[in-house]
Amino acid sequence: MRNRPNIPGFIAITVLVFFYLPIFYLVMQSFNEARFGGPWRGFSLQWYALLFDRPEVWRAVRNTLIVALSSTAISTVLGTLAAWCLHHYRSRLQQSHYVLVYAPLVFPDLLMGISLLLLFINLGYPLGLGTVILAHITFCISYVAFVVLGRLQDFDYNLIEASQDLGAGWATIIYRVLLPVMGPGILAGALLALTLSIDDFIITFFVSGPTSATLPLYVFGMMKQGSPTIINALCTLFMLATFSIVIWGQRYLYRR
Amino acid sequence: MAALLEIQSVTKRYDNLAAVDNVSLELEAGEVFSLLGPSGCGKTTLLRMIAGFETPDSGRILLNGKDITALPPNKRTINTVFQNYALFPHMTVFENVAFGLRMQKKAKPEISIEVDAMLDLMELSDHASKKPNQLSGGQKQRVAIARALVNKPKLLLLDEPLAALDLKLRQRMLIELDAIHDEVGITFLYVTHDQSEAMSLSDRIAVMNHGKFEQMGSPVEIYEAPINSFVAAFIGDTNFLNGKVTAMPNDEFCTVRVPSLGDLLVWKDKDVRVGEELNLSIRPEKLRIARKKPEKPDLLNCIQAVVEDVVYLGSLTKYRLKSGEYTLIVEQQHGHYLLDEKPITWEEIVWVYWHSEDGYMLQSYQQDDESLMALSEDMPDE
Amino acid sequence: MNKPNRYVEWLLSVPTYVWLIVFFVFPTFIILWIGFKPATLNGGIDEGWTLQNYREIFSSNYTPILLRTLSISIWTTVICILIAIPVGYWLARLPARIRYWMLLLVILPFWTNMLIRIFAWKTILHPEGFIKNSLVFLGIVEPNATLLYNEGSILIVLVYTYLPFAILPIYAAAEKFDFGLLDAAADLGARSWEAFLRVFIPGIKLGLITAVLIVFIPALGSYAIPDIMGGSTSEMLGNKIAQRTFTDRNLPQASALASLFAVVVMTPVLVYQIRRSLQ
Repeated sequence: MRNRPNIPGFIAITVLVFFYLPIFYLVMQSFNEARFGGPWRGFSLQWYALLFDRPEVWRAVRNTLIVALSSTAISTVLGTLAAWCLHHYRSRLQQSHYVLVYAPLVFPDLLMGISLLLLFINLGYPLGLGTVILAHITFCISYVAFVVLGRLQDFDYNLIEASQDLGAGWATIIYRVLLPVMGPGILAGALLALTLSIDDFIITFFVSGPTSATLPLYVFGMMKQGSPTIINALCTLFMLATFSIVIWGQRYLYRR
Repeated sequence: MAALLEIQSVTKRYDNLAAVDNVSLELEAGEVFSLLGPSGCGKTTLLRMIAGFETPDSGRILLNGKDITALPPNKRTINTVFQNYALFPHMTVFENVAFGLRMQKKAKPEISIEVDAMLDLMELSDHASKKPNQLSGGQKQRVAIARALVNKPKLLLLDEPLAALDLKLRQRMLIELDAIHDEVGITFLYVTHDQSEAMSLSDRIAVMNHGKFEQMGSPVEIYEAPINSFVAAFIGDTNFLNGKVTAMPNDEFCTVRVPSLGDLLVWKDKDVRVGEELNLSIRPEKLRIARKKPEKPDLLNCIQAVVEDVVYLGSLTKYRLKSGEYTLIVEQQHGHYLLDEKPITWEEIVWVYWHSEDGYMLQSYQQDDESLMALSEDMPDE
Repeated sequence: MNKPNRYVEWLLSVPTYVWLIVFFVFPTFIILWIGFKPATLNGGIDEGWTLQNYREIFSSNYTPILLRTLSISIWTTVICILIAIPVGYWLARLPARIRYWMLLLVILPFWTNMLIRIFAWKTILHPEGFIKNSLVFLGIVEPNATLLYNEGSILIVLVYTYLPFAILPIYAAAEKFDFGLLDAAADLGARSWEAFLRVFIPGIKLGLITAVLIVFIPALGSYAIPDIMGGSTSEMLGNKIAQRTFTDRNLPQASALASLFAVVVMTPVLVYQIRRSLQ
């Protein structure tokens, strides 16, 4: 093409700078010796040391892991079942099932948070790790279901009929055919659920109790009062953790 | 009279590979000109430079004597019918056809009159308010042509316009295209890899390969007197023989010794000397086949061959024969005078003969034979 | 289908079906229900029915907050879409190899925690932060101006947060777009911006609609961003709902606000989205 100024390219590069500048700035500040951020005073790991000395940090990490792992496990099973039904059956039941699985995806977190809070209050169920896990499972199901459903579109049902034809029972089919074929999709769904659960703030904010603060909640609390430089360090580690999961997942799932 | 379109030594390179290599061409007003060649030969690149989507690295393009080389496509009075039609999916047929006129900022009533007239001409009036995805392939094709023609371009470029249609529809659209050209009289530049489309539609054809014109001429010239083995093989089937000139019995003919077939009499369509190596091309339909040796073999070449295969194709029968080191293809039309009492069949030893004026000398072709091998397959251009 | 099949289908569907009824549909109705209940002074929910909560919402107290929420959300959406269109176009036209990496670069910020993104901006816009210092140095702002705690800072972080969500659907639509159509438009006399507006934009219409919804709805319901980036004069609907829930313990009032949001905004969106995806 002829040489006209590449306006979209210019905007895109600006956007990428806009995306990464704050993140780099934050990471840089976490190694800054200066007490309140600001100008560079030299490299230091003191904020990380301070961070690791705080027992609340470790409790928040522990809570986050408990919530993330248990809600991922349960929502992966439920979401996969839902995806299988949505893919495999064509009935009125599945139409309403589809609406039910779809709606949470477009429902704002804020509304889901307050509605679950009111549910737990009305049931007289004490707020704590239990309610956080229930809430996380609820929003993770839909994401898992749609990721697995996306992968199932490529699944050839003839494989099952071929296995039956070759004399396999349902246990063998699930173990030998379904799981290996659907495995990557289920794993992708589970990874998404894991990262969403680790990341969630608003819903957790509404349904958590005094002792069930997760990492995002702890970060939020610190932002309201704590030392900014410790938060920089905490955020840097937090980002490192999520990026590792995402990049590992990408590489594992798209490795051919 | 000056030519409508002049292409003066145009070259376009991609990563040092010349897609179009120093090509020159002149189009007369009103003619149908075809660029014919295998995929990747550079014909689409040439077309895109004429349309304005690509800028040549060197050379000039003139329309009516005016240099348009650097003009963007929207400033050229040239329109294109794209390979996959490129109809705007969110617009109706009417809006598609009206698009160009709207871009010219014509008045609404005027646009309406011109579009309606064009839809009428293309027999699309009943479909004016349909979206492209509600149309059949042939209808889409006609919309694409209407959309280009309504702008009254000086030159209409057609980029493999029939490639997406099935055979029957393609044949019908060819006849329609011919009729449209007669109706509007606009110059057509037609790009195709299909020799039958080019032959049936064009006043002139340029056969292109590796970014260069191999030969330019009328369909008859290209078919009957191909300049080299590439053109001969690309336009229709042919039999190639290689030999050496051994004698010059008179001014018009020479004797060529083809190893394993013997001495053949060949009309001297080129200046050759004794001892020169050359390629011969003989079209399958020029060869005759019989059980008995023909009686007056004066200017006939007769050789014996074994029938390896017989393919009955309805309108004609194709024979594959083995003679010496050569496999010969013969196409024979049916007629009582050709049929012996019983049809010729496998394993029979027969006589193959042709008039010595039907064999053509070819310039030896430098390019590797890869491009020749790929010819038989009908592959659409990218 | 035969009988055992129906039975298996039923058995496999029940877990998610029941779960989502109990933890999604039912709670949504609870909000609608409590919105019509009177509040007790000690933070409880009283017997009987009342329209008082809604009357209060439509009283003048809430009007500035509702209008501000609406205007900030609309601005966020407009800015995100205007930036996302050229970026999506640019991505879709990149050669496949580079495109994969660029796409990854665009998606990656999406994986940082929202709070981290907010906090990064808070540090940058901080009175001692680097943007403030640069702007003062360039003479664009007064040394005592505050970049934080206003609607502008909310807007910046909302755009920052939701831009990747706007780019993805637009890119997905642009990737399927036949760029040959732009050639066709140019061939028919359209200048490049005319081709862009008349052919490219209508061609990615569905992606644009998805992008608008995916930005506008969360922006309306944003809580953390206005809470941290905004001041007391730039509260949004989400802050009010949280304040009524946690600070004032007026659950009926919070429910009424949430119901309004759910009914007015979510119902049309849900109906539209579900009808589209069921087709």
